[in-house]
Amino acid sequence: MTTTATPATTLFDDPVLPAHRRILNSFRGPVGSITATLVVTLLVGLIWVGPSFFSPSNIQIVGVSVAIPLIVGVMASFALLAGVVDLSIGSMVGFGAVIFNQLVAAGLNAWLVALITVVVGVVVGLTNAFVIVRFGAEPLAVTLGMLTLLRGLSQVIVVNAPPSTLIEPLYNVTQGAIAGFPTLLLIGIGVTLIAAGIVSKTRIGRKVQAVGGDDRAAARAGISVSKVRVIALVASSVGAAVGGILYVGQLGSASNVLGTGLEFQIYAALMIGGYSITRGGVGNPIGGLLGLLVVAGITNILNVTFTDPNYLDLITAAILLAAVLVDRFRGGDSFE
Amino acid sequence: MTTSLITPADPAAPRSPGGKTRRPDSRGLPVSARDALSIAGVWVALIVATTIVRPDFLSTQSLLAITFTMSITGILAVSQAIIVISGGLLDLSLPVSLIVSAWATVTVLNNGLPTWVAIPVGILTGMAWGALNGIIVVFGKLNPIIVTLATGFGGLAVMLIFFKSAQIPAQSDLRLYGLGRFLGLPNIFWPMVMVIVLGGLAFAYTRWGRRLIAVGGNASAAKARGINLRRMRLGSFIGAGAVAGLAGVMFSAVTPSFTPAAGASFQLIVIGAVILAGISLSGGKGNLLVLLLSIGFFATIPTSIAFFGLAPAWALVFQGALLIIAVGIDGYRLKRTAR
Amino acid sequence: MTHFTRGRLARLGLVGVAAASLLLAGCSTVGSTSDAGSSDAADDGTFTVGFAVGGQPDADWQDLQGDVAKGLADQRGWDFVELSNDNSEATATKNADIFIQKGVDMVMMFNGQPSANPVIAKKYADAGIPVVTFDIAQPGWYFVGVDNAAAGTDGGTALGELAKEKWDCKVDLVIEAEGTAAGQINTWRTGNAADAIGTVCPDIPEENYVKYEADGNLTTSLANAPGVFAAHPDAKNILVVGLNDQAVVGALQAATQLGRDGSIMGWGQDGGLITGPNVDPNLVGSVMYFLEGYPASAFEIADEIAAGNPPAVKDTGDDAAASVKPCAVTAAEAAAIPDINERVKELASAPKGTSEYDLYCKS
Repeated sequence: MTTTATPATTLFDDPVLPAHRRILNSFRGPVGSITATLVVTLLVGLIWVGPSFFSPSNIQIVGVSVAIPLIVGVMASFALLAGVVDLSIGSMVGFGAVIFNQLVAAGLNAWLVALITVVVGVVVGLTNAFVIVRFGAEPLAVTLGMLTLLRGLSQVIVVNAPPSTLIEPLYNVTQGAIAGFPTLLLIGIGVTLIAAGIVSKTRIGRKVQAVGGDDRAAARAGISVSKVRVIALVASSVGAAVGGILYVGQLGSASNVLGTGLEFQIYAALMIGGYSITRGGVGNPIGGLLGLLVVAGITNILNVTFTDPNYLDLITAAILLAAVLVDRFRGGDSFE
Repeated sequence: MTTSLITPADPAAPRSPGGKTRRPDSRGLPVSARDALSIAGVWVALIVATTIVRPDFLSTQSLLAITFTMSITGILAVSQAIIVISGGLLDLSLPVSLIVSAWATVTVLNNGLPTWVAIPVGILTGMAWGALNGIIVVFGKLNPIIVTLATGFGGLAVMLIFFKSAQIPAQSDLRLYGLGRFLGLPNIFWPMVMVIVLGGLAFAYTRWGRRLIAVGGNASAAKARGINLRRMRLGSFIGAGAVAGLAGVMFSAVTPSFTPAAGASFQLIVIGAVILAGISLSGGKGNLLVLLLSIGFFATIPTSIAFFGLAPAWALVFQGALLIIAVGIDGYRLKRTAR
Repeated sequence: MTHFTRGRLARLGLVGVAAASLLLAGCSTVGSTSDAGSSDAADDGTFTVGFAVGGQPDADWQDLQGDVAKGLADQRGWDFVELSNDNSEATATKNADIFIQKGVDMVMMFNGQPSANPVIAKKYADAGIPVVTFDIAQPGWYFVGVDNAAAGTDGGTALGELAKEKWDCKVDLVIEAEGTAAGQINTWRTGNAADAIGTVCPDIPEENYVKYEADGNLTTSLANAPGVFAAHPDAKNILVVGLNDQAVVGALQAATQLGRDGSIMGWGQDGGLITGPNVDPNLVGSVMYFLEGYPASAFEIADEIAAGNPPAVKDTGDDAAASVKPCAVTAAEAAAIPDINERVKELASAPKGTSEYDLYCKS
């Protein structure tokens, strides 16, 4: 990629524009269109469902269901940003949950088990990174292999019904609310804001973007491409492991199908939010958050109106295509 | 765009000198021969290991089990390979092509029409699905991975809305064909072999085939040579759809009852077999005979697992690990030759 | 240069989030004051049933349970809302929240991933909503289902008797097509069937019993079974039992592909593939539970709850709120039973309180 700057984005860099123009212009970017999509989604919800769409209990339902994919997605977005897609996150969520659940059920201390689970996440991330960075293998292929391997391991470990492990404090955090707002969603938004800060304000964030945008240029500028990608892949895997722990808190158990297909749901939402799974250097955690909220909002509208859930995937698919199409019209990626 | 990311998406992007794009021309044959040898090597190693544990592994029963497992996976892998080699990156909606074609075939049969009508309808359905993907990719100028991710999601949802399960009539010719054997091997094995041979020949000796490879290797260079990119891309999707349609027909012949989600289990194995065969996701490179070896190897794993007396889930573990190792080795080799 | 752009975008995104949160907060006040949050249906006095179908991709009877239940609710003039558990414990848990928010008067469900049931049970208990569970028992929930243990034994006994009659109990291989994700149900249906074969034919040696994972669906079973047959090349007389008809038929199909169908008999569970015109010739019988008809039993409990005198909770397979009688049928007997869609129609037009067992299994 010669440059990631698109006609739309070069506008923002023009310092002489007045503030209101800058705000207007920025809404031509991915974050702008996803914000618009979210507003439309909320309006549709308000009209179709009525004011109860915004009732505390409904916000709690949406918050509880979107928070874990949000945390997993934000961590995985570092890998996307660095130009190395990690398909193994769904299986890692499941594998992390299975390890956590089985070991807690075996009577080990929950904190110790959480630490073990995170370490397993680090090991998986390092394995992915080792093959991708050291051997220069396709990230898509390597992490697909990891996806298969981890799902297989979960099935080998959980053969019959998994044990139940209801951990009260973890249940309260993952299902509870603070001041009428879902606790876990607050944590998720916190993680998102920190991630957004890292991406836009810190040196490491800029390095990640530079590596994802054009790795050779980044290398010439003295950035260690390998190091950045290793960190990004480990972050992605650890995020998934933490997601697995949180799911055990929320569900009180972990079956061997937990997290199946989660990677595609998360990446569809992230792409709606302005990321690309085929190109690094684009996207912002805030956009990811908005993308996940759009999908969660549509899911909820269909749920509370008791509409056939199959329409959800159809709508998600249509929005995803529309999002990448709009992005292309704006001067983003075009294929051939 | 350099090393790891799959982006032949930007034709203007500079290519590394002596890198991937030139490989099929200058060293295509030796590379695929080496791929063939290494896959054949691990395959033999697996067979030997299993035979040491269970001497009765070398039997016609194992052969039947492996060739049966190879059949549908193999046809689907050819479909995927057409997409990948021609630079279309990946088709993630392959499970939908498979099931929608199988459903069309079975529906025709259930309406009392003969098999010779049902088979073309199945294949045409696959082509139509491929055309849908192709049109979105070509006219939307969108990345095929993202497009087929979306159509895969959406297509499954539409199928789930329209049908719960489908059953092939037990007395139809197609069903009886699916239960039969020819030359001692399952009937459905032979169409797979035919597709691989014909596909391999087409890639090597027809103008279309060579052009597909050229487009996959370096789209901008191919365009400069006057090849119509849009037509090639659309053609590759429709062609791959036809092959997937055939897979659907064969699937319906051996599966007496299936649901819309039944295609999901093929997805990973097919992509894994294609990548293991050295068909690089960056396009322009690949050999269908190596693919045949790769499919055979992948299909042997579950049978070996059964002989070892392990739970079938172990097959997933081994297949995943092998895929990681294989792409690691492949990447390492690419890196060394690029230097 | 790009980082500045991202920074601005991020800030503007934040503005967007802030605006959306404000909107949310504003409306949430509206919502709570008008009490629209905890639903309409509960308030207007109409009895509301929340129904969660299993949503397992390979089981068409699960959606049909929903259709049957809707018909029964319509008969009674009740409100009926349906969700799918999507074969996911996370979705099943979320569905509980949605039903509670909706203010339903009772819930009926099949949950194929029951590992989250303790959490779901806690939610419903806190909300005071009675629950009917199909086939998978959970303390505190009305259990409606087949006596799975008896169903397994019935199927195995019938198959064992056939083996005794035809092969004089000379059985070389007993294949158990398991679906381990179903947990205890798998042990009852598959394990008990194998045990029952052993009771009828006690001389079958232990090593002739082989298990493999069929995951309760035909495609997976057909993918995993060929290896099992190949690994036992000398077995002639083969029996197959399993979690359900799909699993058993997958094994029978694999046998046909490997030319091992000369002397093989399978006995299914659930009757999913024993009716209709395309029955596998080696599927000699199945145990029908008329799964799609479970809601008929559940609605008898619902009637009592709606009338204000809920029955005592019976929550185990041994002491069930409504025990669906298993109906072991041979393939010949099953030929007289209409297929699943036809049965759903007939059940809908049958008088209240009729079960499918009454309709089709009187013999």
